[in-house]
Amino acid sequence: MSAEGQKLGLAIIGAGPAGLSAAVEAASHGVPCRLFDEQGAPGGQIYRALESTPLRERSLLGADYWRGGELIESLRQGIEAGLIDYRPEHTLWQLNRERELGTLSRGRAALTQASQVIVASGAQERPFPVPGWTLPGVMGAGAAQVLLKSSGVALDQPLVLAGSGPLLLLVAAQYLRAGVPVAALLDTSPKDALRRAAPYLATALGAPDYLLKGIKLIRELRRHGVNIVRGVEALRAEGDGQLERVGFKRQGQWQEINAKTLLLHQGVVPNVQLSRALSCRHRWREDQLCWVPELDPWGESDAQDIFFAGDGGGIVGAEASKLQGRLSALQVAARLGAITAARRDEIARPLRRALARELRIRPFLDALYRPNEAWRRPSDETLVCRCEEIDAGQIRAAVRAGCSGPNQLKAFLRCGMGPCQGRMCGLTVAELIGETQGRPTAEVGYYRLRSPIKPITLGQLAELEIPEPRAAKTEVD
Amino acid sequence: MATHDIAVIGGGLVGAAIAFGLTRQGLGVAVFDEGDIAYRASRGNFGLVWVQGKGLNHPNYIEWSLRSSERWSSLAAELHALTDIDVELRQPGGVYICADQQEFEQRRALLERLRTQSGGRFEFKMLDHQALAERVPAIGPEVAGASWSDHDGHANPLYLLRALHLGLGRQGGRYLSGAKVVRVSRDGDGYRIERADGETHHAARVVLAAGLGNVQLAPQLGLHAPLKPNRGEVIITERVAPLLDIPTHNLRQTGDGTLQLGDSHEDAGFDDGTRVEVLKAIVRRNLRLFPRLASVRMVRAWGALRVMPPDGLPIYQASRSHPGAFIACCHSGVTLAAMHAGPLADWIAGGPVPDQIASMSAERFDAHTTVVA
Repeated sequence: MSAEGQKLGLAIIGAGPAGLSAAVEAASHGVPCRLFDEQGAPGGQIYRALESTPLRERSLLGADYWRGGELIESLRQGIEAGLIDYRPEHTLWQLNRERELGTLSRGRAALTQASQVIVASGAQERPFPVPGWTLPGVMGAGAAQVLLKSSGVALDQPLVLAGSGPLLLLVAAQYLRAGVPVAALLDTSPKDALRRAAPYLATALGAPDYLLKGIKLIRELRRHGVNIVRGVEALRAEGDGQLERVGFKRQGQWQEINAKTLLLHQGVVPNVQLSRALSCRHRWREDQLCWVPELDPWGESDAQDIFFAGDGGGIVGAEASKLQGRLSALQVAARLGAITAARRDEIARPLRRALARELRIRPFLDALYRPNEAWRRPSDETLVCRCEEIDAGQIRAAVRAGCSGPNQLKAFLRCGMGPCQGRMCGLTVAELIGETQGRPTAEVGYYRLRSPIKPITLGQLAELEIPEPRAAKTEVD
Repeated sequence: MATHDIAVIGGGLVGAAIAFGLTRQGLGVAVFDEGDIAYRASRGNFGLVWVQGKGLNHPNYIEWSLRSSERWSSLAAELHALTDIDVELRQPGGVYICADQQEFEQRRALLERLRTQSGGRFEFKMLDHQALAERVPAIGPEVAGASWSDHDGHANPLYLLRALHLGLGRQGGRYLSGAKVVRVSRDGDGYRIERADGETHHAARVVLAAGLGNVQLAPQLGLHAPLKPNRGEVIITERVAPLLDIPTHNLRQTGDGTLQLGDSHEDAGFDDGTRVEVLKAIVRRNLRLFPRLASVRMVRAWGALRVMPPDGLPIYQASRSHPGAFIACCHSGVTLAAMHAGPLADWIAGGPVPDQIASMSAERFDAHTTVVA
């Protein structure tokens, strides 16, 4: 096992389904790895706090959640065998094409170089900017789910959920099971969603579990008497310094309901902060309305020896993420000489078949839960960049004044220049620019991201140990 | 084909300032800028309006910088009136902080020479630790002192760029984005401008202000731009309470409260990324001067490529072989903005040659001698 600062064989970033599976697969071929994770416990978002959640009654969080137990058990075995060097509470603030990982843990920054890197940094919620979305009391449904899993925290009531996508239904059901009543679920799915998704139904039938799960969730919500309002055309959160009411428009009429908590959600998109910071080639996925890094069949990007597995390379879900993590680990094991190419291919074959099966449902889900333009391209008065407080109207005006793209927009408005580096606004900004310029989002591009991708203090950077002989002489006057 | 009185190639701080000055004269100006991805030194600019320490053995450059500093407040006022953009110009004076006594003495000797060479126009004073602490209470206990100059200040380079773009548009100029120019050639009495996207324009006169892009364009007009990229890396922090109302040469607090740390010099080719050892060196230097910054969070760092002639001085020149063709290259796009929008633009529009720039043509490199006016 390599000492701190020395060059590593394999580094894995993220201990969710993809990262854990990659670590376990590598270990099974005798390839050691160091597994960095921001959280204090393994599981990523989906299996968050699985070992410690106060909600031990299994029906509360559901079978899909508890399925993570097996993977975490394998992690523990890998740690015991001395093959997985698991590093929780390590925030990654830098990754470059030389595969130098800048990490931060307990206030200390470190720099480690690895010969192979598997990034499994997962998904984030798609931005859902509506008027008032920055009011205290409004949050992402995903964030609320994390709260529930890790601490069983009850939210202020009345609780309203709004948006679309399977996670929204699941979170509503989980809060209900935990005893928190849901005042309303405002469904923003387009009216023609089913018609648009129908052509994909035949292939989706190959993965009947998913379809059944969705139907069961809706039944469960109805059984609990949740007021499900369909055909919502517009939303706004209102209140004096704190959420008090949710306004929604239906059939052209505005209505209001009282709420102390509003959970917004319109699907998840890949977290591309790292692939963007690496300046990897990306392509726009019109079916998923997001950017993804271009990857080969093993998940390797155009940054050599850097792989992306799981939702970070395109939304695939937990089960497919595990398979992708294993495939990347196989390629790494072959490259490091632990297995032959023939052995790699032999193991990969059934994994690829299983992956194809898992992905069959995707076109149907993508079409069914595709958010309408109106939800992705907000009205002028809606805040888009939370860090710098820039609204959609300012962005449209800057583009009309000649701003050519997201990077120039930084110069025009400081948009995307706050501590989140555009994580919360990047997609919305690209869509607004495309709309105003009358060209497809795919052509608009994205922010160029700069290190550090997570804030570190000047003192921590000053104390960073840079392994020799890398440190070069530099003139600073 | 679109025709213009003058085509300015390059929409960064240099090109935009010249174009702004030309539109002020009522000329039909078109600015050709690249798209969303470009090297764009203007975007990485540190934002100093700075005179002290510049121009040793080049009195014309000292005077050129001094005149710009003096004219800056009227440029800022003009832009504000025209565009409603406050470019956050502050000219409270600036300090160069000396970590130890040896640096302090070297600094004094350098600035003495600059004062003499400028005929007394450049003024400064040395502040010892205590005098500095009275003006800049945040300095660390080991700091020896600083040089102070009343000529210095700072502005927001992004707002300046935006105000210039907006201002030239208000005065009838055209700003063309996504219009990278690949070729400029004679076309009757004027010039034909070919863009990378295939579109062509005609202009009676042409100004090359394309930063590092001038290297390729200059020979097409009988000009010479021996420029090299010189990378500077800049760190920006979260917003903090007012700490520093005077800019220093490697740390300034911006109008919105963030701190900006520089400044490094590297030969890194055309790589505008960052290197962790450079960032660390910048931070260590600044923490020695300002220890209390250790707990401040850094949110972003970037590299940008200075447009650097071999001797560090600007290049301004009219082509001998191609009448009506001009070139402007420099790495002080903020400091010199007032001269670029003023006397330099006036010259290009047909006015007199400013005294200071006669010695700043690229011909100085042909003779392999140092230019001393």
